Amino acid sequence: MRTKAVRRTGWNALGIALFVVLVFPVFWMVSTAFKTEDQINSLTPTWFPTHPTLSHFSDALHRPFFWTDVKNSLIVVLISVAIAMSVAFFAAVALSKYRFTGRKLFLVLMIGIQMLPAAGLIIPLYVVLARYHEVNTLTGVILVYIASVLPFSVWTLRGFIIGIPNDLEEAAMVDGSTRLGAFMRILLPLVAPGLVATSVFAFITSWNEYIFARTLLNDQSRQTITVWLSYFLGTQRQTDWGSLMAASTLTAIPVVIFFLLVQRKIAFGLTRGAVKG
Amino acid sequence: MRTRLFMAALAAVSLGVVAATASAGVQRAQANKLTVWLQVDAQSGWPDLVAAANQQFQQQNPGWTVDVQYQNWSDHLQKFDATLAGSDTPDVIEMGNTEMTKYMAAGAFADLTSSKSQFPNSSHWLAGLAKSGQYGGKVFGVPYYAGSRVITYRADLFKKAGITKPPTSLAQFETDLVKVGKINKAKGFAPLYVGGEDWYTALSFVYDYGGSIATTHGGKWVGSLDSPKSIAGLTAFKKFFDATQPKSTATLDGTSPFPYTVFSQGQTAANYGPAWYTCCTGAKYKGVTAQFVMPSHIKGQPMPGFLGGSDLAVPAPSNAKAQAIQWIADFTSTASEQGLEQKGNIPNATNLLGTSVNERAAARSWFVPQAKHWVDVENGNILKTMLSQILTGKLTVKQAATVASQNIAQTLNES
Amino acid sequence: MPYLLVAPVVVVLGAILGYPIYNLVRLSLQRYGLFELIQHHGVYIGLHNFGSVLHDSVFWHTLVRTIVFTIANVGLTIVVGTLLALLLVQVSAWVRILLTAGLVLVWAMPPVVAVQVWNWMTNIQNGVLNYLLTELHVGDYFQHNWYVTPFSQLAMSTTLIVWGALPFVVITVYAALSQVSPELVEAAEIDGAASWRVFKDVTMPVITPVLLILTSLSILWDFGVFTQPYLLIGQGHIVPSNYLMGIYLFEEGYVRADFGRGAAISILMLVIVAAMSIVYVRRMIRLGELA
Repeated sequence: MRTKAVRRTGWNALGIALFVVLVFPVFWMVSTAFKTEDQINSLTPTWFPTHPTLSHFSDALHRPFFWTDVKNSLIVVLISVAIAMSVAFFAAVALSKYRFTGRKLFLVLMIGIQMLPAAGLIIPLYVVLARYHEVNTLTGVILVYIASVLPFSVWTLRGFIIGIPNDLEEAAMVDGSTRLGAFMRILLPLVAPGLVATSVFAFITSWNEYIFARTLLNDQSRQTITVWLSYFLGTQRQTDWGSLMAASTLTAIPVVIFFLLVQRKIAFGLTRGAVKG
Repeated sequence: MRTRLFMAALAAVSLGVVAATASAGVQRAQANKLTVWLQVDAQSGWPDLVAAANQQFQQQNPGWTVDVQYQNWSDHLQKFDATLAGSDTPDVIEMGNTEMTKYMAAGAFADLTSSKSQFPNSSHWLAGLAKSGQYGGKVFGVPYYAGSRVITYRADLFKKAGITKPPTSLAQFETDLVKVGKINKAKGFAPLYVGGEDWYTALSFVYDYGGSIATTHGGKWVGSLDSPKSIAGLTAFKKFFDATQPKSTATLDGTSPFPYTVFSQGQTAANYGPAWYTCCTGAKYKGVTAQFVMPSHIKGQPMPGFLGGSDLAVPAPSNAKAQAIQWIADFTSTASEQGLEQKGNIPNATNLLGTSVNERAAARSWFVPQAKHWVDVENGNILKTMLSQILTGKLTVKQAATVASQNIAQTLNES
Repeated sequence: MPYLLVAPVVVVLGAILGYPIYNLVRLSLQRYGLFELIQHHGVYIGLHNFGSVLHDSVFWHTLVRTIVFTIANVGLTIVVGTLLALLLVQVSAWVRILLTAGLVLVWAMPPVVAVQVWNWMTNIQNGVLNYLLTELHVGDYFQHNWYVTPFSQLAMSTTLIVWGALPFVVITVYAALSQVSPELVEAAEIDGAASWRVFKDVTMPVITPVLLILTSLSILWDFGVFTQPYLLIGQGHIVPSNYLMGIYLFEEGYVRADFGRGAAISILMLVIVAAMSIVYVRRMIRLGELA
């Protein structure tokens, strides 16, 4: 028993050390957002801002279109993720639990589409969307994001579903429910962690996406928050580091909130058994 | 029952998506809207001038609105290419003067030759800038503004080293810098901070000695960096660099870190760069920062400075060319150009030039070869590679220049 | 029934990506530069673009460099990620929450911003990295330039990419680990099995599908990676000797405005990545067959 406690302390220490190393760049970003101009440019690094200033945050918040672009990002990302996840889930269930012709082909397509370099598709996608007047619209971006996130989601969700043994559904079906009903009742809660992990990934990928948003959205009132961020870097003149870091911190917050909301679904305690004895 | 509900929901969602794609959205381009692409420099530097031009335009064209969309230098060309593919280009676009030729050669812009007289001060346009907007004898770009290169320096440190007036020759400047270096022994301090790969600086030396990058012979480009005069210039640059810079700057190109950042940290006494560097030299040194013209190796003359700048063009697919021309005329009016001059830029016409250090430095200037593929030479980093090879001693001046010359000729002569 | 479940995905992807993919293939068979772009009309030249790329020595050197780069990045990501996930199982709850929170923070940072922070931490004038290495007496790194040699540039890019990729791997593997039955683990330990055997026989079968997915996805992403190395090394220092495939595609196809060639390179990249990941993909597909 004692050795177990000692070992645990050892793991904890390692965990904390790794935490520090991993999070350092994020810490650097956030602390810089509070530093004064001189501290930012000084030759020796300033670890903690001793006279924290809120001027950078104020500057970032007051730049034109900040709130508008946050709203745009939220709309685009939440809709894309919701649609993509629901559609992908059903396809993933079909792929893992049913046999049908074309199954292998479909699977290969799901991974194949992801092998296409995004850079190669920018102009063809732009041309198609332009034809339907969906350039410079949020709808156009939503469509692109759904298409980007779907293959990955199907592929990953299938992996999670495969890991779940069949006995459970069989047990449920004995009770008289249909196959699909069995899925919903038994499968869904078990796949929840995987579903959440996948949707977090979809959320973050879409939230941070830059290339397509930049190309497709021209009006500053329609752009997403990542495009808004890029304006801090655009000029040939000095990058306003303080405001850039403050702005970046602000754009990262919704992601953290989203994760906090869904993280309870990812089992943090290994408390559940798979099949009751 | 629940399954049926699920199926229904699924069907609805997918149909909805298809419908959204198929329905030609009612988002037609607004009639009577002028779309203008300017760089973010205008947004942060002179938004009042933009607003004034918009107002003037709207008075002349009632019922029209102007939509100014600000672009970043790093990706505005890729965005422009996308709009060209889709035929919904802006009506006015700001282009860097080195970016013009490639697009003019591809037929991207409307011919403005017959409208030239509509543009204010067009008969006095700065020669260098005007040339960047011409191709095949026709006018495609209207000069917007320019900038030359000057020395931004710490007057207090120079004074401390006993220097009372700006140097009038390169040799004098080198001596001065060495003096400043002697009284500042801080680790990593450089009297002048110049990125070794900053070809805008290095090539100024080349042009100062009468050399050039490339010339045309019988319709083909020939690299001339390996000509005797160019080599003399490069050798002079190496000598100057070795005397005034720490070894570590040999492979830096002046964008990381920015020279003015080094200045604001107190690690250098001078920068050679655009005049607007004074914006960012640090609050600490605001009172002691001044500028003078970089001297040539010929006593009494300024060293030729790279004339950077922007032109305004009208993309060929635009449906509002007349209005676009009018807007450009409003934005490059005498009043507007004078406003640009007050913000530290060089205006687009000789009759508007003042006597700031920036404008005096522009008396002698150089520009890159006006070739369709010049942009590819820049993007291929041929010049930067040459400079770092010379400054790190990997190759002799003659070897590096010969290789670069051949590469440049090859790139420029591509079909 | 299964067709009904799969239909929405097919419809959505077909509608959005169908024409662009067709267009991409068509472009690869045409000469399509800036002039043709403006005219909306290309000239058919058959497989000439492909021939030109395959005869370009820069293409082959870049390919080899990218394969090595991919192996390094994927290897580090998967191995370190799995180890971290296993660590998450072993630590106390509060440390677990701390680490997970940290990972989410890392994940939430936009790549564009992460590059700027990296740039800054490693910059020659006042970068924190040089400062720390000098202070900790690892050596004299005063004004050391981390971006001089291609190896150094790509190594820096690797640290950035692996750092950014870890959260997803760790959280996904951890989610998969949560599907491992603790009763089985306990039973095996009671029987006297060493932890390595427990891992191999009890844990691995459950997380193998997920690991296969992550590996195949990582290969895809790291092979075609563009944003991080391009911005970190800086456009000004991108030269053929440090090209990665994603950057090669961008430079040769789009910056030079040779869209036909760019399309050809895209298709070649697709073929190569498919070849690289086929082993994992087949195992993935076959695993599903047993269900």
